[in-house]
Amino acid sequence: MSHFRVAGLVKRFGALTATDGVSLEVARGEIHALIGPNGAGKSTLVHLMSGLLRPDAGRIELDGVDLTPLPMEARTRAGLSRCFQITSIFPRATVRDNLLLAVQACSGSSLRLFADRGRETRLHDAAQALAERVGLQSVTARIAGTLPHGAQRQLDVALALAARPKLLLLDEPLAGMGAEDSETMTALIATLKADMAVLLIEHDMKAVFALADRVSVLVYGRVLVSGTVDQIRADARVQAVYLGTETA
Amino acid sequence: MTSVTGHTSARLRWAPWAVFALLAAFPLVAPLLGLDFYVGFVRRGMVFAMAAASLNFILGFGGLAALGHAGFLGVGAYALVALADAGVRSAWLLWPAAMLAAAIASAIIGLVVLRTRGVYFIMSTLAFAQMLYSVAVSLRAYGGDDGYNLFERPAFGLGLDSAHEPTFYWVVLGLLALVMALFDRAGRSRFGHALAGIRDNETRMRALGYPVQRLLLVAFVVAGAVAGLAGALLVSHNAFISPATMHWTQSATLLVMVVLGGIGLRWGGPLGAAVWIALEEVLKHFTEYWHLPLGLLLIAIVFVAPRGLAGLLATPRGTGAT
Amino acid sequence: MTAILFFEQMLNGLGYGLMLFLLAAGLTLVFGIMDMMNLAHGSLFMAGAYLAAQVQGRSGSFVLAVAAAVVGVALLALLLEALLVRRLYGRDHLAQVLATFGVILVADDAVKLVWGAAPMMASPPAALSGPVELLPGLLYPSYRLVILVAGVLVALGLYLLVNHTRVGMLVRAGASNRPMAEFMGVRVDRVFSGLFVLGAALAALAGALLGPLTAVQIGMGEEILIPSLVVLVIGGIGSVRGAFVAAMLVGMVDTIGRAFVPMALRSFLSPTVVSDLAPLVAGLATYALMAGVLAFKPAGLFPARG
Repeated sequence: MSHFRVAGLVKRFGALTATDGVSLEVARGEIHALIGPNGAGKSTLVHLMSGLLRPDAGRIELDGVDLTPLPMEARTRAGLSRCFQITSIFPRATVRDNLLLAVQACSGSSLRLFADRGRETRLHDAAQALAERVGLQSVTARIAGTLPHGAQRQLDVALALAARPKLLLLDEPLAGMGAEDSETMTALIATLKADMAVLLIEHDMKAVFALADRVSVLVYGRVLVSGTVDQIRADARVQAVYLGTETA
Repeated sequence: MTSVTGHTSARLRWAPWAVFALLAAFPLVAPLLGLDFYVGFVRRGMVFAMAAASLNFILGFGGLAALGHAGFLGVGAYALVALADAGVRSAWLLWPAAMLAAAIASAIIGLVVLRTRGVYFIMSTLAFAQMLYSVAVSLRAYGGDDGYNLFERPAFGLGLDSAHEPTFYWVVLGLLALVMALFDRAGRSRFGHALAGIRDNETRMRALGYPVQRLLLVAFVVAGAVAGLAGALLVSHNAFISPATMHWTQSATLLVMVVLGGIGLRWGGPLGAAVWIALEEVLKHFTEYWHLPLGLLLIAIVFVAPRGLAGLLATPRGTGAT
Repeated sequence: MTAILFFEQMLNGLGYGLMLFLLAAGLTLVFGIMDMMNLAHGSLFMAGAYLAAQVQGRSGSFVLAVAAAVVGVALLALLLEALLVRRLYGRDHLAQVLATFGVILVADDAVKLVWGAAPMMASPPAALSGPVELLPGLLYPSYRLVILVAGVLVALGLYLLVNHTRVGMLVRAGASNRPMAEFMGVRVDRVFSGLFVLGAALAALAGALLGPLTAVQIGMGEEILIPSLVVLVIGGIGSVRGAFVAAMLVGMVDTIGRAFVPMALRSFLSPTVVSDLAPLVAGLATYALMAGVLAFKPAGLFPARG
């Protein structure tokens, strides 16, 4: 059973405590949503979990393995993948090349200087499968930077999926998306449950209520409350925090 | 990634082969045209083409603006001198040794400078190359600032006479062709694609699980080793070595060559080297103040042709398939 | 080794460090605020040295020479900034490196055209050619003392400027967050020009002061540039305080490498070995320092931007 656990994470930036003792758990096959008002520290938390930032205190564990001392690249190899709130792809390359790069990372060493990668059919098959998984199979020859916003975000997710993660960190996947793109992305995320645990950071409440098994609310760097979707919806403190904020 | 290297139009794909044939024929044709002197000149151009190509590997592919590359040329050169002085004769020992020395130097320096990025990287590569320069200046055994003569060329064996100018020319040409072919393969390999990925989005590469630091270090060392070979060839060409070869202004010149030719484009290094050296030579004939027009040209390039000459020849990016 | 020798060497190291500070301070400001990599900074140093030597040769007045150098180079810098440098803001660093390298090439030949290829001799003013007795038995060249004093005064002046004036506040704001500074209505282009000219003036001052001690020749700018950049890297980009601390460190380490380590080595190695090893150590000392700093702080000791 894949079990992702974060315990007592703390991160300070000078006088500002962005993360103030955060603990939460995600079970295998669960989509755990993390919501909270702007400035609550969601991005910092994602950076801490993925390894972009080092915590001042606390522990990050996946499947019993302590990830805390590991750099970002090692965490990915241990089964924790992330996508990015601001789309982070390789815009000058084709979609296929983007996917190949992701697949290459987890199928053997990249310290091969003489063999032509174009001949590695298995890599190309894997990249094609990945494209089909997220629905980008019709645009693999397009330059990634020319894709519409929604497709780029799909690619961002696809890149993270290549490593067959045990836990996927989705950092606002629906950011900047219109209604149709949001539905496509929501449907995609729903299909991920079968293979991995998902920690979903989102503002889009419609998606959160549709997808999440459990929800945690982050306010001022602390987890205010965790529970099922219904519990969270009914919680008075959560309503107070969101008073004035539009919910779907 | 083809989108990086661009896609030279079909008309120009035969060009490298034609150039190779012309270069190979040159020593035979030159005496007939009274251009004997220029055999040495072209040979020197080829050595710098090799050096520029190695810099293009880390700059164009890795995105590392290394401003200290001439330092590794010098390491290779002085390694050759030291060993030749100690009695080693065979090119097959001397050249690999020069490459190894340069590789070690670039590994040690790489471990430090690759902790930095951006301008800190540019400046620390500059500083460490100048450090190598000051080490060379302090080597009194090899002439220090005055330099050192080494008249005997490494022996090639195989019945070839390395003192014969055209023979040495063809050996240099052969090595240059080999180096270009290897870099070309590397560009299409897993390693090459990974490097390009690091150049385009380092954070995402780390997030994908790539050992980015290790990959960059390997690229840095490979480029340094090839520069070392170029340095070794330069000593044999000039029959002379001095620390001036490693001065930071030489590194800047190498960088200029790569940018002039076209960063990241397959023939950027050799093209830039050829044009720059030809320009130097032509301008020197007209005036002793040849730095001035070159400097102005450099400034013009920055504003007019930032993608370099090869960039003007390649078709717009993104039209090629994998 | 006597205490006298120790003090004398320390003072030399201090003087060298202060001159490096003059150069690095200008560089770090330009770099920190405009994010501009200016390799031609050394050429401004060279221009200051040449102008001062020329004016001193013609007029005999050292003060006039230094003033002429500073003012002349400041005007030159104003022109350079308006014509070229301001078009480089916002370009990638590689483009800036190349363009300013082009300026170096032009400057070297321009100097050669005007003053010829042979080095120019500049000498300290007659009034300052004798030694001063600082402590019993410690005679120190008065000219070098003047350099020390000048360096300290400039450092103090810069400290006051950066930390206690409105301009300085703008500079510090710009160094840490330029878009924000612009947002808040800072006349960014004027600040930029002013900083560039200030940096040039400092470099020219260093050139005018150091001219009599070293050779005034083409290429002197390229030589002093690297130690200045080392100071910049160690101190952290954008920080004048960092430049000062780093310059002091480099000055000390350089002196230790040049003077004290050979002395120490001589006590247990043969003289021939020492005479081969000493220049090596001297050359490596500051770079070892830089490597050491970068190993722990890849952005320098006091980087202005986090």
